[in-house]
Amino acid sequence: MSGSVADGAPAGVRSGAGRSRHRRRGSPKSRGQRWAPYLFIAPNLAIFLLFVIWPALNGFNISLYDSTNGRTFTWAGLDNYRDVVTDEDFVAVVGHTLVFVVCFVVLVTATSIGLSVVLDAQRRGRAVFRAAYFLPVLLSPIVVGVIWNWALDRQVGLVNTLLDLVGLGRPGWLVESSLAMACTIFVGIWIHLGFYSIILLAGLQGIDPSLYEAARLDGATAWQRFRHLTLPLLRPTTLVVVILATINGFQSFDFIYTLTGGGPVGGTTLIVQFIYERAFESPIRYGLASAAGVMLFTVVFAVTALNYLVGRRSEAI
Amino acid sequence: MRSRVHWKQAVLAILAGVCLVVLAGCGSPGEEAAPEPEAQATKIDPASFRGKTLTYVYFTDGPDEQATRKLIARFEQETGAKVKLQIVAFDDLETSLQTRLSGGNVPDVARLDTIFPYRDDLIDLSQYFGAGLKDQFLPGPLNGAIGDDGQLLAVPSDLTMNGPFVNVAQFEKAGVPLPTAKEPWTVDEMVQAAEKVQQANGTDFALAMDKSGHRVSTILSQYGTTLISADGEEALDPAKGGKALDLVTGLLRSDKLSRDFWLESGSRYAGANEIFLAGAAPIYLSGNWQVSQFAENATFDWAVVPNPCAERCGGFPGGKFMAAFRESPNPELAAYFVEWMNRTESQRSFVKDSLFLPTRKDLAESGIEYASRNDDMAVFQKDVEETPADSFASVYSPAFSGSADALVAEIDKVVAGREDVAAAVEQIKQETSELVEDTSR
Repeated sequence: MSGSVADGAPAGVRSGAGRSRHRRRGSPKSRGQRWAPYLFIAPNLAIFLLFVIWPALNGFNISLYDSTNGRTFTWAGLDNYRDVVTDEDFVAVVGHTLVFVVCFVVLVTATSIGLSVVLDAQRRGRAVFRAAYFLPVLLSPIVVGVIWNWALDRQVGLVNTLLDLVGLGRPGWLVESSLAMACTIFVGIWIHLGFYSIILLAGLQGIDPSLYEAARLDGATAWQRFRHLTLPLLRPTTLVVVILATINGFQSFDFIYTLTGGGPVGGTTLIVQFIYERAFESPIRYGLASAAGVMLFTVVFAVTALNYLVGRRSEAI
Repeated sequence: MRSRVHWKQAVLAILAGVCLVVLAGCGSPGEEAAPEPEAQATKIDPASFRGKTLTYVYFTDGPDEQATRKLIARFEQETGAKVKLQIVAFDDLETSLQTRLSGGNVPDVARLDTIFPYRDDLIDLSQYFGAGLKDQFLPGPLNGAIGDDGQLLAVPSDLTMNGPFVNVAQFEKAGVPLPTAKEPWTVDEMVQAAEKVQQANGTDFALAMDKSGHRVSTILSQYGTTLISADGEEALDPAKGGKALDLVTGLLRSDKLSRDFWLESGSRYAGANEIFLAGAAPIYLSGNWQVSQFAENATFDWAVVPNPCAERCGGFPGGKFMAAFRESPNPELAAYFVEWMNRTESQRSFVKDSLFLPTRKDLAESGIEYASRNDDMAVFQKDVEETPADSFASVYSPAFSGSADALVAEIDKVVAGREDVAAAVEQIKQETSELVEDTSR
């Protein structure tokens, strides 16, 4: 087997010695081949360094200074971090964020798995349903927030108009704190469901159908096949979805800002809105906002790493 | 073994992150302090402006844009200079200007709602036009244009005044008389009148008010208190502030002012003009900047009536400024443009076309004859005279914007039943004190 591979390879790479000599000297063609991938990713990498890495590093830096205009800075050390953690609003915001992230991640993952299984089993109109569920992913989150804000308006919203028609009254979806948080989670799921389902669907289609066939022959029920075959084999893909959902959950802001404005009474204000308001609403406090941003980064990084490690460990087991 | 490798990778990544923080902390992100203002006296020669270009960063409230363009055309004709009007959204104004100042792409002139964030960057106009320029403007609006050391860092270019709009048709149907300048409503009478008209017309609400700390400050002022005093300190009187907040939160809780409208917008500003335009409330508490919009869009007969009185009368002011930047490529042209745009004839033209109020003493004294809605604008002009001086001091304080936001946030909590009015007043006072301290650093 290996002989046939060596036979088909260029002369210079047939033996180990040949390979190392080839690497040391390097022909113009192979050097070009070696650099080609880096050249391909260089433009994107440059943009990434300039617009993501550099601002992120600068964010760390600014968090150690006090600035109200982004031009004059006064050294503040860790004062901004102290001010953030002792801010009552921040404590409340952290609570809201945790509620949102936990509910969002659990529900969106469960719903996405369910939907992907249904889509996978579908025989008719597959493309139409997949496109329909994927459509919200293509919409701007700002627009999604505005649309649902209209739909959930107590007096003139579509949802309450329909509920009123069947005698269920007019709940204050965006006026009562608990309902507003539930609506926020629902809209978050609605936006991301299609994307996560497509990822999981790809994972499902990678599972060998003969395994299901064997299970059927062994008399396994649909639930048993799902429980003992689909879920374990989908675990690596599910892990990706959980990590993405966690990151998206912590970063949620745009659609919430247009849906509830963080209200009522700050009940749906999450960390990113807290950062935005400190950074861009008067009185501007770039240092404080950056400190909160660094803390958010640290938490997201830690939770993501934990998800990844736990996921890989259970995969290994 | 495999998971140990991953743990190692994770630890290395965290260590790398910590190193980045430490490294990043080693360098200052910018200058430590702003440069001292230069002291110079320069005589301006308008003939030297021919062929030069000036950039004017502007945000528009609507009809003022055309009024500004008209004036710019005259300025260009007179001086031979070219003015580039760069319009930005109001929400982006501060970020946009700070970014441009930071990046060295400094505009020559900007229309501002407050000079506070830029006070180290603005030209002292007195150095070109002498101390006499200050005397041309009303003392109230001038408050907001003066620097820490008495410099004239901007010119108040227009004045706004809060006040009530009424749906005349609904009042007539209800048989409820409107107030006059000689016999204004008390605040209680205004609420009672609104309730009667609401009942007679079956409107959803008795009153409409923008979700804005600036608008609520009108009621605070009428009850005899302000968020910030003339000497820039926190000044909310607990008893008077409590009465004003009792009124507002009571109206919201009883849904005479739309509770849903107030709570649904979260921490965002929300204008209640659509409620009034839809005929869903007979009285709308807003300000003169709505006049041109209503003149165009209202499908019913409406009018402006005098602000109601409680302990005091009058409304609550606001306004815009024009300022020239020190790092402008053409500082003399910039200063001259600011002064020219606010000469008597220029400002008369601007406020007439925009349905704004003048900031110049001569125009305030002579009055402005507006081409349309003159009677309504006269009500606002009269209310400027009635407005207490401490309201001007309050609104032009650098801490006002933040404390007005705190006012709204605390009203939210009272309406949602999370705290009582006394606790809200206490919290507003505390937050305002902190903001005053922050902004005076």
